[in-house]
Amino acid sequence: MAFSQITQQRAGIVGVPPLAVMEMLAGPEFEIFDLDEPQGKIDIETASPFLPQVYCGILRTVISNCLAVKPDSIYIDTGAGKCDCAVHTATVLEDLLPNCEIIRTRNNDSRNFGTPLCKAEMPLLQKMAAITASVQQPVAYNPLAPCTATAGFWGVPPRDFSLLDLFPDTTHVYGWARCMENKTPDNMELELHYNPDIPTVFFAQSFCAKTALARHLAGKHPHGLYLDCDVTAGNSAKAKIQAFLELSGI
Amino acid sequence: MLLADFGTSYCKLLETCSTAPPRLIPTRSIDKSLRVDIATGHNGKRYATRYVNELTALARGGLRLIDDESFTLLDCGSRDIKYVSYSNGKIKDMGWNAECGASMGFTIELLERYYSLDFTTMTIPKNSFSVTCGVLGMSHIFDAVVTGESEETAVAKFVKGIAVNAYNFAKRPEKIYLSGGLCDNPLFIGSFPCPVHSLGRFVLLEGLQASL
Repeated sequence: MAFSQITQQRAGIVGVPPLAVMEMLAGPEFEIFDLDEPQGKIDIETASPFLPQVYCGILRTVISNCLAVKPDSIYIDTGAGKCDCAVHTATVLEDLLPNCEIIRTRNNDSRNFGTPLCKAEMPLLQKMAAITASVQQPVAYNPLAPCTATAGFWGVPPRDFSLLDLFPDTTHVYGWARCMENKTPDNMELELHYNPDIPTVFFAQSFCAKTALARHLAGKHPHGLYLDCDVTAGNSAKAKIQAFLELSGI
Repeated sequence: MLLADFGTSYCKLLETCSTAPPRLIPTRSIDKSLRVDIATGHNGKRYATRYVNELTALARGGLRLIDDESFTLLDCGSRDIKYVSYSNGKIKDMGWNAECGASMGFTIELLERYYSLDFTTMTIPKNSFSVTCGVLGMSHIFDAVVTGESEETAVAKFVKGIAVNAYNFAKRPEKIYLSGGLCDNPLFIGSFPCPVHSLGRFVLLEGLQASL
């Protein structure tokens, strides 16, 4: 056991790398770190010398994680399935971590793995954690019974998962998070999909290009609320979700 | 039952079993040992066992006071601005700007005292400063005064800038129902680019009554 730990390579992933990459990283010689998510109690301000403070909180987290985790290699998706900010972050990482191999990927996968988690009944925080964890599993999903949706969450996994605690267990997940579970992060048709019959929160990280899409779709949705948050969800963001759901009769 | 809206500058208290109107008390004068039955406002959790979210209280208050199925209700307080929009009786949109709207009402009150102005007699200017937050917008006043503009005109442009900012934040409705302490400020109300119906500063208390 100790021998395998010593020989494991620390592989970081940013975004959803192509399935072929994830199949390769699933081997025993790799330990995977999802650099989009906080890898323990790491001060996000350690990223400030390398990225502007007014920048996507997820990518600032990527930098602070990299400084703490010190991966041997990083697979960073820089295609349309991620964002332009990731393109530039990859450049920063190349200069910042000269001993780390930075591999830029473009995930154009179109095979649909399905979205059972997005439609299942379970606490939204756990559901989102399972969706992000599913990126590291290059295998077919176990079937889950879908529930009748009473609310919707559209968007990306937030930097601060605590805001998800406010939603009912019967919340369906839409947007890029659904694309993640489906393993097709560049599927615009799936990303644009929402259910107009349920009150839906359209979420994006502050300073992310997806704020435009989230706000646009919230305006089109007959019962949608646009919400953006930076690093942590403040009282006003949580109050908006709470009031929106409460006043929608949920 | 004692209901309270604990605001940044003023607290509003209502005893439901009394016919007396709500009491308005400066927040700094509130007894720290006070306990109420239901509270809202950003200081409210400290004083009550039951707390109602400010946006929820605002929406419920609006539903009680506004005889319209579709409306936008904007609350401008000392510290922040927030709004709710209803369409055909259903909640449509809401917002709470606690950061960029910071200190708006507070700043307006401070300027009136600092420059010894009377907002009830001031003329509403044609133009406004571009103001995204009370604190940052202050520099426009100082710059204008330095270049020869009267203090009164400069402050009026600042107040109008704040009104326009609040109007944009509420997504430019055709008509605004206004809540909060700034309902008593004719310069502020007259500076909106749309008709304004003032509901006064006790709308959140109405919302708490609806929560009983």
